[in-house]
Amino acid sequence: MLLAVLITNSEGNILVERFNGVPGEERLHWRSFLVKLGADNLKGVKNEELCVASHKSVYIVYTVLGHVNIYLVGKDEYDELALSEAIFVVTSAIKDVCGKPPTERLFLDKYGRICLCLDEIVWKGLLENTDKDRIKRLVRLKPPTEF
Amino acid sequence: MAQFVKKDDDRDEEAEYSPFLGIEKGAVLQDARVFNDPQLDSRRCSQVITKLLYLLNQGETFTKVEATEVFFAVTKLFQSKDIGLRRMVYLIIKELSPSSDEVIIVTSSLMKDMNSKTDVYRANAIRVLCRITDGTLLTQIERYLKQAIVDKNPVVASAALVSGIHLLQTNPEIVKRWSNEVQEAVQSRAALVQFHALALLHQIRQNDRLAVSKLVTSLTRGTVRSPLAQCLLIRYASQVIRESSMNNQSGDRPFYDYLEGCLRHKAEMVIFEAARAITELNGVTSRELTPAITVLQLFLSSSKPVLRFAAVRTLNKVAMTHPMAVTNCNIDMESLISDQNRSIATLAITSLLKTGNESGVDRLMKQITNFMSDIADEFKIVVVDAIRSLCLKFPLKYRSLMNFLSNILREEGGFEYKKAIVDSIVILIRDIPDAKESGLLHLCEFIEDCEFTYLSTQILHFLGVEGPKTSDPSKYIRYIYNRVILENATVRASAVSTLAKFGAMVDSLKPRIFILLRRCLYDNDDEVRDRATLYLNTLGGDGSVVETEKDVKDFLFGSLDIPLVNLETSLKNYEPTEEHFDISSVPKEVKSQPLAEKKSAGKKPTALGAPPAAPTSTVDAYEKLLSSIPEFSTFGQLFKSSAPVELTEAETEYAVNVVKHIFDKHVVFQYNCTNTIPEQLLENVVVVVDASEAEEFAEVATKPLKALPYDTPGQTFVAFEKPEGVPAVGRFSNVLKFIVKEVDPSTGEAEEDGVEDEYQLEDSEIVAADYMLKVGVSNFRNAWESLGPDFERIDEYGLGPRESLSEAVNAVVNLLGMQPCEGTEVVAANSRSHSCLLSGVYIGNVKVLVRLSFGVDSSKEVAMKLAVRSEDESVSDAIHEIVAN
Repeated sequence: MLLAVLITNSEGNILVERFNGVPGEERLHWRSFLVKLGADNLKGVKNEELCVASHKSVYIVYTVLGHVNIYLVGKDEYDELALSEAIFVVTSAIKDVCGKPPTERLFLDKYGRICLCLDEIVWKGLLENTDKDRIKRLVRLKPPTEF
Repeated sequence: MAQFVKKDDDRDEEAEYSPFLGIEKGAVLQDARVFNDPQLDSRRCSQVITKLLYLLNQGETFTKVEATEVFFAVTKLFQSKDIGLRRMVYLIIKELSPSSDEVIIVTSSLMKDMNSKTDVYRANAIRVLCRITDGTLLTQIERYLKQAIVDKNPVVASAALVSGIHLLQTNPEIVKRWSNEVQEAVQSRAALVQFHALALLHQIRQNDRLAVSKLVTSLTRGTVRSPLAQCLLIRYASQVIRESSMNNQSGDRPFYDYLEGCLRHKAEMVIFEAARAITELNGVTSRELTPAITVLQLFLSSSKPVLRFAAVRTLNKVAMTHPMAVTNCNIDMESLISDQNRSIATLAITSLLKTGNESGVDRLMKQITNFMSDIADEFKIVVVDAIRSLCLKFPLKYRSLMNFLSNILREEGGFEYKKAIVDSIVILIRDIPDAKESGLLHLCEFIEDCEFTYLSTQILHFLGVEGPKTSDPSKYIRYIYNRVILENATVRASAVSTLAKFGAMVDSLKPRIFILLRRCLYDNDDEVRDRATLYLNTLGGDGSVVETEKDVKDFLFGSLDIPLVNLETSLKNYEPTEEHFDISSVPKEVKSQPLAEKKSAGKKPTALGAPPAAPTSTVDAYEKLLSSIPEFSTFGQLFKSSAPVELTEAETEYAVNVVKHIFDKHVVFQYNCTNTIPEQLLENVVVVVDASEAEEFAEVATKPLKALPYDTPGQTFVAFEKPEGVPAVGRFSNVLKFIVKEVDPSTGEAEEDGVEDEYQLEDSEIVAADYMLKVGVSNFRNAWESLGPDFERIDEYGLGPRESLSEAVNAVVNLLGMQPCEGTEVVAANSRSHSCLLSGVYIGNVKVLVRLSFGVDSSKEVAMKLAVRSEDESVSDAIHEIVAN
């Protein structure tokens, strides 16, 4: 299960927070844990360079893209490798929507479309689409080209 | 909506200008009224939905009324033909997740979209419908979903398949009907469709071993297009290997070649999955392991942190079971100690601690010392645990490891970390006698400057137990008495108890201890004063050197033998009168922990506090419990207590299991009951037992349970008399009877009046195996010879056609309830005959040994020769009777 997708600005303020199968009372804990993890480790990390950690049998893969930090949390079959596959899809989709690694402002400007992309990528904790071109067309309700 | 006008990316301007600046739920809900406009402004509607999404993604929640209102308004947007808006509508409906009574309003629109010629409308409508639907609606749309699974558009097929995976949790019987379509989708040329179909098909068929095995066989031969699907296939293949290895221990391992081939796949995730699968194979040989370890070793020096992490994590696991296989990677691991990523560094260190040899310990410790200063406490705890295991493995190295632990004990750190270190030192002191004195001194030094009251008191308690037994107990006194001078009242009180223990156990120290204790009589805390007074009086504080009597020691330092909770309750209920508090009036019945606590209770043994429980503790606990109940106190010695047998299905209103206690002339059923309904209190709980199918048993006593509140297990008992020494068997039907009272959840108070009710339980049985204790012998042959042939009974039996030889062996072992010896319960694969050795103690404390010889013919008919030797002729006969019946 892909337990969480969290996107924050560089100060750690939440931009997008989507949990799957995480009880309400644990969410705050996860949020602060991830934000602290980013604050400790993401300084000086290059765009899209992946960082990894594990905590209580779940895995976390996170990265920087422009001025936003992206965190993915998974467990069982969504281990560090599956998560890096998923985070790659997420970063490519965001870059695609924003045209470049986004500033916080640009990210918020494209907020609706980014939500649609995330909706195409993760379906309640399961990875659904992984191809950025297809995702790009799907959020415009266009059929995929390869078909 | 001026905020949404595109701005150029000037950072200075942005900082003060967010499109969601000052966003407020109430205002957005107001904005959502635009959805009701007769002339829909699609752009504005999309913006409002975006704001709603922003709020939801910030963790904001809508009340039921708010959500319903927005949901109804959103449904109006189906009128719009704007494609962008429609996509947003699909998303927001899912996010709002309307309740089942509201869903009806969108179903027709969604059903229309589901049959739309536009493929992506279909895909989205499927996803939304499956998210919000319930079982009844699902049967209506099932036909469309089945079509969608085999749709030629991969987006539609994937949407239906992923929906299927989710629906399988709630409506398994419906989704299982799609198996033909899913099977077809597994053959799809689209990579993701194949991935999703494979996941769903496996879930549908996971309980059908043969089907999974066939699926794996066909796919490992064919083509699997996406790396994700390949990973799934590897997982399923290892499942098949695991299950088949139980029956097939000889010959080649199925699918190993496939796994080995995957190590050369171009996708890293497939390589890792295969490597992990190989390392986790049951009884993996070093020849099988080598190729996997080799690829993992290469990844240790990868430039990508994720790959380094994955490699070191896998090798860390292998190090637990096959440390020798990992030693080749040690050089690469050592370079990872300085890895920027602390998770990787910690895993590398703990692996090295597991695989390192004795000579390398000192060098390794040096490296770790530098590393410890810059990692977080949670990583430090992992390292401390690993060091403790290393020390137990190489006891001769205790000096440097103990020094390391004491050094880190002095450094900064939180409670959990310090506790882990103290626990480790305590375990080392217990297990390595040579380490005792230095370990105790380290602990003494630690409490000189310890900020955690809990740890100080625990260490003081431990010092009181271990210190007096050392060669020079006097050297600890200074540290202990310092606590009386310097610490808070809790620690002072503990220190007084510890001092008294030294006084009681070491006669030569007694006079000096009394001087110290007398000083404590002037402490400003009453508990400290009380303890000092008590100890001085009971130990003979007149200063004379006399040996403390055993019963005084037992009174002061022995275990109380009653649950502390019960003592606390009794003391609270005690009203000071002429009559003194009588400790023997405290009930000894152990109230089990509430469910929630049980779950959270860790498996890790705690080092401090209570001494480790002996293996017989459950039997002891049962014995104490039963002897404390007057009705059963005359039954004599308890012979055997069975494991709990569940009498209710999982997750029912009341959970009941039964433990059967066997005595010479009696049988006691202990019913452990749990009430899982917060709104109910049960009173006068009894189990009414019908023993009409157990003729030799006569009910003699019942002990009802007064009250059974929510989530606090309690016990009720029923006792039967049976002929002495006779292994009577029978079947008992059980009905739980009680008075149920409603409880107000807000106040927790129960109503005065209750209603009688009953609840049918499963039957319980007394079988022959209940009269047999599983007691093994270390050398069966010697034991057999020493029992001699006097009371040997041999006979042959036909067991009829059996599934396998191993199944027949298990059946007989379970029937007799005896302990298999020397691993003879395991039947070699494909063997035609087998011998099994059993040992046990029969009721009346009669030792029994059994030799079983099995043979199977081509039609799977199993024959068995049974030879019994025991200390009593009639017992040997009784064993044969059990089998004959």
